[in-house]
Amino acid sequence: MTDIQDRTDIEYGEAPPPVDFGSLTTAPGTAPPVAQDVTYERILDARSEPQNWLTYYGAYDGQRYSPLDQITTENVVRLTPAWVFSFSPHGLHAGQSTYAFENCPIVVEGVMYVSGWDGWVWALDAKTGQLLWQYKHAIPFDVSLCCGNVNRGVAVAHGKVFVCTLNAHVLALDATTGECLWDVTSGDVRAGESLTVAPLVVKDRIVVGSSGGEFGVRGHLDAYDMETGERVWRCYTIPKPGEPGSETWPQEGEAWARGGANGWITGTFDPETNLLYWGTGNPAPDFDGEVRPGDNLYTDSVIAVDADTGEIRWHYQCTPHDLWDYDSNMECILFEQDGRKLLAHFDKNGYCFVLDRTNGERVRIFPFVDRITWGEISPDGQVTPRIYPDKEGEEVHFYPGPAGAKEWTHAAYSPRTELFYVPVQDTGATVARRRREFKEGIPYWGAAVTVDAKDMAGSVSAFNASGEEVWRWRNDLPMCASVLVTAGDVVFAGTPSGTFVALDARSGEFLWQFNCGSGHHSSPITYSVEGKQYVAVPVGWGAWVEGFLPGMMGGPHGQAMFVFSLPEDIDSAGGR
Amino acid sequence: MTTTASERSSALRELGLDGQNQATIGRLLATGNIGHAEEGDDGRMRARIRIVPDQLIWDPSVLVLPHGGHLDIEFVNDDQNTHCALVPSNGDSKWMWLPNYSRGTMSVTLDGPGYYWFSSNIGNDEGRGLIGAIVVRGDVPESARLDRPKQPRP
Repeated sequence: MTDIQDRTDIEYGEAPPPVDFGSLTTAPGTAPPVAQDVTYERILDARSEPQNWLTYYGAYDGQRYSPLDQITTENVVRLTPAWVFSFSPHGLHAGQSTYAFENCPIVVEGVMYVSGWDGWVWALDAKTGQLLWQYKHAIPFDVSLCCGNVNRGVAVAHGKVFVCTLNAHVLALDATTGECLWDVTSGDVRAGESLTVAPLVVKDRIVVGSSGGEFGVRGHLDAYDMETGERVWRCYTIPKPGEPGSETWPQEGEAWARGGANGWITGTFDPETNLLYWGTGNPAPDFDGEVRPGDNLYTDSVIAVDADTGEIRWHYQCTPHDLWDYDSNMECILFEQDGRKLLAHFDKNGYCFVLDRTNGERVRIFPFVDRITWGEISPDGQVTPRIYPDKEGEEVHFYPGPAGAKEWTHAAYSPRTELFYVPVQDTGATVARRRREFKEGIPYWGAAVTVDAKDMAGSVSAFNASGEEVWRWRNDLPMCASVLVTAGDVVFAGTPSGTFVALDARSGEFLWQFNCGSGHHSSPITYSVEGKQYVAVPVGWGAWVEGFLPGMMGGPHGQAMFVFSLPEDIDSAGGR
Repeated sequence: MTTTASERSSALRELGLDGQNQATIGRLLATGNIGHAEEGDDGRMRARIRIVPDQLIWDPSVLVLPHGGHLDIEFVNDDQNTHCALVPSNGDSKWMWLPNYSRGTMSVTLDGPGYYWFSSNIGNDEGRGLIGAIVVRGDVPESARLDRPKQPRP
């Protein structure tokens, strides 16, 4: 150890003992043991306890629908802030310019579990916003992040809070104290891997998907035993040579080994089929297809994965041989129509895919954004590319840009209205192929990319399952945050400028707004405590803004959980 | 103008960037010494980091660990002002006062590989120079690596 000797002219004193930085807050350090009894069976029936938001999408079907109906189209105009939890970091952290609050909170019997950027996890009193405990994982400053310092949420079960870290660890925390119970390394930061996904509890396991597609990794899903952290299975989303699907990659070379297809957004689950429905990410390099001829399975696909074994049972590829960065990570919303078990997936490429979720059969494809110039997908699934980066250095301009007609942020579905509510981005981009050699841990796009900062639009658009647009609420800026719908027939959505809006789920009529001071790029939820309904939305603009809305690169960062409720004098008749 | 690594120290000195209130108001970050932690038989790593009088610099300002794990750091404040130490650690960052002419030890746990900033987070100690780095070398466990052929690195 390099050392300088003590000075002999100084009589040193003892410094006060070190403390956990979190002890210098008002947090008591403990939360009620409400998570102890959260089981797989309760999550299976999550909608029967609407006071809670037990899993990432609220329920396994991904509908982001709540049966709570105290807040209605009539009284939502009186919604006011109930509390705000604001947090700002100390010292330097990774992605200081790109951190964002992309979280989707989990609520169990009055306790809210929240993950933030840079390894933060908080337990909050869901009625008051009081911090109960906090956990901070030390995240290396030099971790590889394609799109910002973000985390999308935790999972809660069996008295534990499960969270992924940017340096590719998976943790189980004690839900009453925040103490770490187990910590496994799931990915290789030297390869450019990271984890941003909210884990999904399925049976006695949690399932996570890796990030790192822009660094030329090989994507995978992993299932870990909830009690021990032991890995139960790993599902690579790109086949090795000789495995099914490997014929869609060059037979020579190692393009498959760098091919991406990461599962960085939480999947949905149907206990009857025992299948996880997970979207996969772009191929790598994103825009240079000449080095990876073929369809490049299972990139840009919906894959149905056996929850017990991790085997891929069927797949549907939304953008074969992608040249536009059109990940298919977005949610697969499970619903039924005419007795069929279906799923709907609104893809970056501007089309919605309705599939039979028992076998992957195509049922319907329809566009959901005005401008689609990259190519065309016919109703029978034929894909015809039209504009794409091809010749070295030659710029092409196409719609939607690489952030897609809908980014990862989630649509919602109401079984009351039988409508899907979709946050839409209508933005183009200019791309020129620029080939580069693959080097592990270095971004691997194969292009120069600039996304339009003008001539853009957004909306929350409502579609029925037949693909008909029923209404559209227009916004000047693209909509870059998840949508929530409730049994009060209210749709909630946040805008990039910071306003949180409420719309009539049946008509799209604008009902209410509140300026939260920073743009929205997260997933709002609703819950109730002591019979009172609350709506919570994490607010904190950032992340891949240069990709999805460079016209708001200068927008203010934020870091606050805003929670709204009706004033005390509002009659809660019909509330639950 | 180009400089080589070996010329960097002298260039910083000539420009007055490696001290307080010379070329700039404070001291350019990460211009201090580099030190290595020692690993004991118990697997814990140990290091001593000082605050240099009137220089608002950690010494060493870059501490190198051979791998992730547990690290005991003895901080020694040789300065005639009060500072503190905020150091990342899994679970929660550790924080301690460092009054004038005091010393104290904190224990932190860090993953590897990667590097982490630590600082004195009062006033503008950070901007004046009291930000240092803990560099963790090594690799992730074999079980966490991708099943693929060895890939080229920069």
